[in-house]
Amino acid sequence: MNNSIVFLLAKKDFLITRKIITTFAIVSLVMIALVYLLQGRVANMVFYNVGFSLLIIPGASCGIVLLMQTNVFEKAKSTQAFIMSLPVTVREFTLAKLLINLPIFGAYWIVICAVAFYFAFGQGVFPMGTLPFITMIFLGIFVAYTFILGVSLLFQSLGITILSIMFFEMGTSAYLWVLAYMEPINTHIFGPVAVWNSTAITIVALQVLAAVFAVSMTYFLQNRKRDFI
Amino acid sequence: MNIPMAVQCSGISKRYPHFQLQNVDLAFEQGAVMGLVGPNGAGKSTILRIVMGLIAADSGSVNVLGYPMPSNQIAAKRNIGFIAEDMRLYESETIAFHMEFIKSIFDSWDGDYAANLLRRFDLNKEQKVKGLSHGQRVKTTLMLALARRPRLLAFDEPTTGLDPAVRKEVLDEMMNSMEDETHSILFSSHNTLDVEQISDYITFIYGGRIIESQNKEDFLDGWRRLRLVSAQNRDLPQLSNISDIHRSGKLCAVTVKNYEDSLPEKFTDAGFVVNDIERLTLEEIFLSNVQLAKNEAKKELVL
Repeated sequence: MNNSIVFLLAKKDFLITRKIITTFAIVSLVMIALVYLLQGRVANMVFYNVGFSLLIIPGASCGIVLLMQTNVFEKAKSTQAFIMSLPVTVREFTLAKLLINLPIFGAYWIVICAVAFYFAFGQGVFPMGTLPFITMIFLGIFVAYTFILGVSLLFQSLGITILSIMFFEMGTSAYLWVLAYMEPINTHIFGPVAVWNSTAITIVALQVLAAVFAVSMTYFLQNRKRDFI
Repeated sequence: MNIPMAVQCSGISKRYPHFQLQNVDLAFEQGAVMGLVGPNGAGKSTILRIVMGLIAADSGSVNVLGYPMPSNQIAAKRNIGFIAEDMRLYESETIAFHMEFIKSIFDSWDGDYAANLLRRFDLNKEQKVKGLSHGQRVKTTLMLALARRPRLLAFDEPTTGLDPAVRKEVLDEMMNSMEDETHSILFSSHNTLDVEQISDYITFIYGGRIIESQNKEDFLDGWRRLRLVSAQNRDLPQLSNISDIHRSGKLCAVTVKNYEDSLPEKFTDAGFVVNDIERLTLEEIFLSNVQLAKNEAKKELVL
């Protein structure tokens, strides 16, 4: 495998999407500033719900727009034939797409997590007991993203990708409600200390494994494709 | 001396739900131009995509510039410049962006040649792709393919939708790229004039099958139309190489394949006067071939 071609392809996608990434980065900074301004002006629950939405919407939108632009539109706009006519294999193409999408969404995700955790626990908006639950919420979002990324790469279809976004969006909400009603989790939610019991640790570990599985399966299935345009 | 092959496909097949490429053999040596001619949906693009390693054949083997495809596609694609009619560049980016991108991948990128082509094609490299006309877009992709100095150019319908002036520019530049006997072109078209103009070899494709493949001179020499007159409305002699007959009263036009100089005599012996012997254009030869293929397909269905 030619690593330099992977980086060149990822760099090409970065340059093509640089305006999208920059725009969403600016919007995210504005949202963080808004969250900061809201603090102390509204009730804690309202602050967290509104703040969570303000933080997550630009990050998630950037991730989705980016994977649409780099994966789905590559095929829909027939630029894939141009790329695949170059000395590029399916493996290198796939790695390049993962290399551009995962770190950018990952960076947004880390910043959003850091800001959310800062306000939730650093500023005492929530008791420490909610730490495992909120960790699971953010991990759940990341896992859903990795599956949507996989679908967008494997199918490169606008319709199927939109369906997967809807499915994982609803699925993540349902999953969080299930978590919230699980006794080993909800018993400690309003407690003063974070309780990382075996259930919480197992769920977090499964979420990490699910994300790794989604990315690995995408890579594996993509490499089995015989036709690529 | 053995001339190395540019492309060698043996028995390649590819099945789609509504189309099947069947047992295609295609070969030509380096330094030659091979034109694939066929109507829309004949299988030209499928063959070119298989040659490029973009899709894998269900069976058969493909060798391009000595590299087996698709297993050794990286080495092969380093030496191939590919253009397809349905291939697009990034609309939001400039021609210069694409030039930089290709240059970063190919050590063989020839900046002076690229600049020269930009001038000749009257292209502004700061222009975004979305602002280019169809002709400018084709010329841009051609410039990007040529400036990397490939040994094989694989073009899928490069002249489709171009006005005559741009078509000539594109064809001229394709021919200019044939610097020496190591450079080859494989291109498809349903425009027989283009194929006749630049090809050394011609392959006719119809319904996923190759119906004929020869060098151009043999094609053009092998077909004739005889204009005959028969005073007594006689029957034509039973010759296997007659592909088409048009009768109108005493006049008769017979299209023959594998023409030989002794053929007019056979018609004379049968009581016909040979008024004229015409050469066929490639388009007429192609249409006659398609007609023959259709007739054979009908016969197979009946059997």
